[in-house]
Amino acid sequence: MTPSTIQCAPGQGQGAPAQGPGAPEQGPGRSSSRTWLLLVVILASGLALLPLLTLVKDVLINRGESRLELGFDDLRQVRGTLLLVAGEGLLGAVVGTAIGWLTAVCRFPGRRWLRIAQLVPMAFPAYLLAASLIDWGSYRGLRIHGLGWAIVLLTLANYSYVFLLSTESFSVSGRRLLEASRSLGVGPWRSFFRVALPIALPSIGAGIALSAMEVVNDLGAVRLLGVPSLSAGILDRWQVDGDPQGAALLSLVALAIVAVLIASERQLRQRSRRWNLEGGTGSAHVWHLAGWRAALAQLFCVLPPLIAVAIPALWIQQGWQGLQSESFAELGQLASRSLGLALIATAVTCLGSLLLAICRRWSPQPLVQQLSFIAGLGYAIPGSVLALGLIMLGGPLGFSPVLLLLWGYGDRFIAVSKQALDAALERIPPSIDETATSLGCDWLAVLRRIHLPLLRGPLLVGSLLVFVDVVKELPITLALRPFDFDTLAVRVFQYASDERVGAAMAPAVMIMAFGLLAALALVPTLEQRD
Amino acid sequence: MAQNRPQEVNVYSGRHYNTDKQLYSEFTRRTGIKVNLLEGKDDELIQRLKSEGNNSKADLLVLVDAARIYRAQEANLFRSIRSAELNKDVPANLRDPKGQWFALTRRARPVMVNPAIVKPGLIRSYSDLSRPELKGKLCLRNRASVYNQSLTADELVRRGKPATRQWLQGMLANTKRPFFTSDTPMLRDVGQGECGAAVANQYYLARMLQDKNSTERSTAAKLKVVWPNPTHVNISAGGVTRSSRNPEGAQRLLEFLVSPQSGEGYAAANNEYPLKGWGNNPTLKAFGTFKASPVSMEQLGRRNREAVQLMTQAGWE
Repeated sequence: MTPSTIQCAPGQGQGAPAQGPGAPEQGPGRSSSRTWLLLVVILASGLALLPLLTLVKDVLINRGESRLELGFDDLRQVRGTLLLVAGEGLLGAVVGTAIGWLTAVCRFPGRRWLRIAQLVPMAFPAYLLAASLIDWGSYRGLRIHGLGWAIVLLTLANYSYVFLLSTESFSVSGRRLLEASRSLGVGPWRSFFRVALPIALPSIGAGIALSAMEVVNDLGAVRLLGVPSLSAGILDRWQVDGDPQGAALLSLVALAIVAVLIASERQLRQRSRRWNLEGGTGSAHVWHLAGWRAALAQLFCVLPPLIAVAIPALWIQQGWQGLQSESFAELGQLASRSLGLALIATAVTCLGSLLLAICRRWSPQPLVQQLSFIAGLGYAIPGSVLALGLIMLGGPLGFSPVLLLLWGYGDRFIAVSKQALDAALERIPPSIDETATSLGCDWLAVLRRIHLPLLRGPLLVGSLLVFVDVVKELPITLALRPFDFDTLAVRVFQYASDERVGAAMAPAVMIMAFGLLAALALVPTLEQRD
Repeated sequence: MAQNRPQEVNVYSGRHYNTDKQLYSEFTRRTGIKVNLLEGKDDELIQRLKSEGNNSKADLLVLVDAARIYRAQEANLFRSIRSAELNKDVPANLRDPKGQWFALTRRARPVMVNPAIVKPGLIRSYSDLSRPELKGKLCLRNRASVYNQSLTADELVRRGKPATRQWLQGMLANTKRPFFTSDTPMLRDVGQGECGAAVANQYYLARMLQDKNSTERSTAAKLKVVWPNPTHVNISAGGVTRSSRNPEGAQRLLEFLVSPQSGEGYAAANNEYPLKGWGNNPTLKAFGTFKASPVSMEQLGRRNREAVQLMTQAGWE
C-alpha cells in the first residue's frame, strides 16, 4: 500500500466489531485527517463543558452559607421530577411507538394524513398548552392542576420525538426480516413484538431519552400546574434563596437523572444492535386494516394531534375578543428575531452534531466516545443554569450576547440532532465503511458518498427538531438576550406570567405557526419512506 | 463617559407593559436621552445583574415586590442617590432611607369575596381569615407567590411571630387545596362559587372587570372587594445600579417616572395606585379606599426569609 492511500484492516468482518458502535479500523495507520476529527470532538466537548465548569468554579470560590443537603422541599422536587419522567416516558413511549408502527407498516384510510398530523403537536410548547388549558378550564369551573395533567400535557408536547424516530426505524429497517417472519405465518402483533420492536429499540430509546430530557427541563408547564420539580427548585434556590451552591447540588441531581437516562438508552442500544441497510426501496409488505381495526387505528392516531390543536384553539376561540396585539411592526420584529436565531442555531448545531457523530463512528477509542458523550450533556443542564454559566464566562471576556445566545442553543440542543444521527449511523453496517476505506476512501469521502446520502432523513429530522426547539426555547433566551431583543417566546412568557392572556395570544399563535411550518417541512421525508 | 454622543439609559425592568414604553418614549422626547429596555422576570434580572458585575450595561433596575427589591439591595446592586425631587414625590416609607431605591407604584392585596357564600362583614382584618366560619371556603395562591410572602412578612412585623404562626395555621386550615398557581383562575373560582373568598392584588380583579369578554366581566362582577384594616401594600420600585455608566441619566428617568404626572400613567397601565392618593382609575375608585399598613417596604424585605419559613412550617405549599 502506498502512503497516500489509507491503510485499513479489512480482515474484520461484520460479525466481530471489537468495540464501539462502528469500529471499522483500529490499526495504527490513522490518517492525519482523523486527527482533525479528534480536534473537532475536543473543541465541541470543551465548548459544551466550559459554561458548566465556570459555574462549578464560581460556586466553589464564592462559598456562602448554604445547605449542602437535600431538604424536605428538595426531595419533593426530586420525587416530582422522577414521577414526571417515568409517567411521560411510559405514556410517550406507548403513544409514540404505537402510532409510529401503525402509520409505517399498516394501511388504513387516512393513514398518510394522520402520519403528517403527528408532527403538529411539536409546534406547541408545553408551557403554552398548560397555560391555555388552565385558562380555558377555569372559565368552566374545571380545575387543571397536578401531576396527572402535567404528565398528559408533557406527553402531548413531546411524544412526537418517539414517533419520529420510531417510525423512521419501522419503515426503513427490518423490512426483510418482517417479510420473513410474515411468510412464516407470524401475525402482526407477534411480528411487532418479536421482530420490529427489537430492531427499533435504539430509535425508540433515543426518542424517549430526548423527551425525558425535555421533561426534566420543563419549567413553565410544571410551575403552572403546581407540580414540584427540580427545574423550578434549581431556579428558586439560585435566584430566590440566593444559594448557588444549593442550586448546583440540585443541578447535579438533575444531571444524574439524565445520565441514568442516557446510560440506559445506550445499554438498550448495545443489546439490540442490528445493522440493517435495506433502505426504503424494497417492496413494502404491509398489513391492511379494515373495519373496526381501521377505525381504531384512525382514532388512536387522530387523538393526540387533535387534542394538541384543540387546546390552544379553544383558548383562542374563548379569548379572541380580548386580543390585544402589538403593532404589526413589533410582531414582525419579534418573529424575525425568533426566526433568524433559530435558523443560525440550527445550522451551527447540526453541523456540530454531524461531525461529532461521524467522529464517534471513526474513532473507537474510549476517550473520543466519552468526549462525544460529554458534548451532548448540555441538554441535561437546565437552560437557566447553562445561561448563568455563559454569563459568567462571557461577561468578563466581553462576548457579544448574541454569540453567547447561539453558544447556549448549540450547547443545549446538539444532543437533539446527535441522537437522531447516532441512532441512524448505528443502522449502517460498519462493513460498508470498511469496504470503502479498503478502496481508498478517507472519512470525508465516505461521509460525502455513503453516510450523507443515508443520513439525509435523520439529518433533516434532527435539524427541524432543533429549529422548533430554539423557537420555543425560553430560559436561555430570557437570560442572555441583549437590550431590546425580545423574541416571540419571551413575549408570550412575560404576558402569560402577568396573567394577561389577551396580550400573549398573538405571539403565541406565531410560535405555533413557525412550529407548524417546520413540521410541514418534514412531510417529504415521511412520504419518501412510504 | 459619552458626552458628545447622544445619551442613553439602559433599563432592566420586571414590568412588562406597553404603556411603560410609551412613557419611556415621552422621556426621550423631552430630554433627548434614549431608553433601551430589557424586560424580564425580577429574580432573573437580579441574578443577571449580579453575574454581570461591573461589566453590566444596566443603569436602572426596576423591580416588582418589596422582597425582591430588598434582595437586590442586599446583593449590593444599587447605588445611593440624593434627589430633592425624589424625596418630595416618594413618601418616606416607600423609599430606601439611603436613597438606593424609590417606589414607582403601589399595589394592594385585599380579600375578595363572593357575598353569596361569605358575608363581607365577616372579614375586617387578615386575622379574620382564620375564623372557623370560613372553613373550606378560602382559596389562596401557593407559597411561591412573592405577594403572599410579603403579606405574611407584613403580619410578622405588625403582630410578631407567635401570632403570625397561629394566624397561618388557622387560615391554612380553612383553605381549599390544592393551592392556586395564579390569581386570575382563583378569582374566577370565587366568582363561580367554588370558593367563597380569596386574597389577591387589586389589579387582577380590575383587569377582569375591564375584559372584553362578557363572561369574564360578569364573573368578576360577582366579587366584592373587602379591605382589611390595615391593608397590605406592596410596590414596584426602581434604583440606579452600582455599575451604571450614566447615573445622572438614570436618575433623571427615575425622577420623571415618579413625578405625579407620569406616575399616574405608570400606575394606570396595570390598574395600580399612584404613590400618593388614589388616582383617577374609575375601576379602582369603585373598589373604595383603604388604610394602608404602616410597615415599611424595607421591613417587608428584611423579614421575607423568616416569613417564608413560617409559611413552610404551617404547611403552605
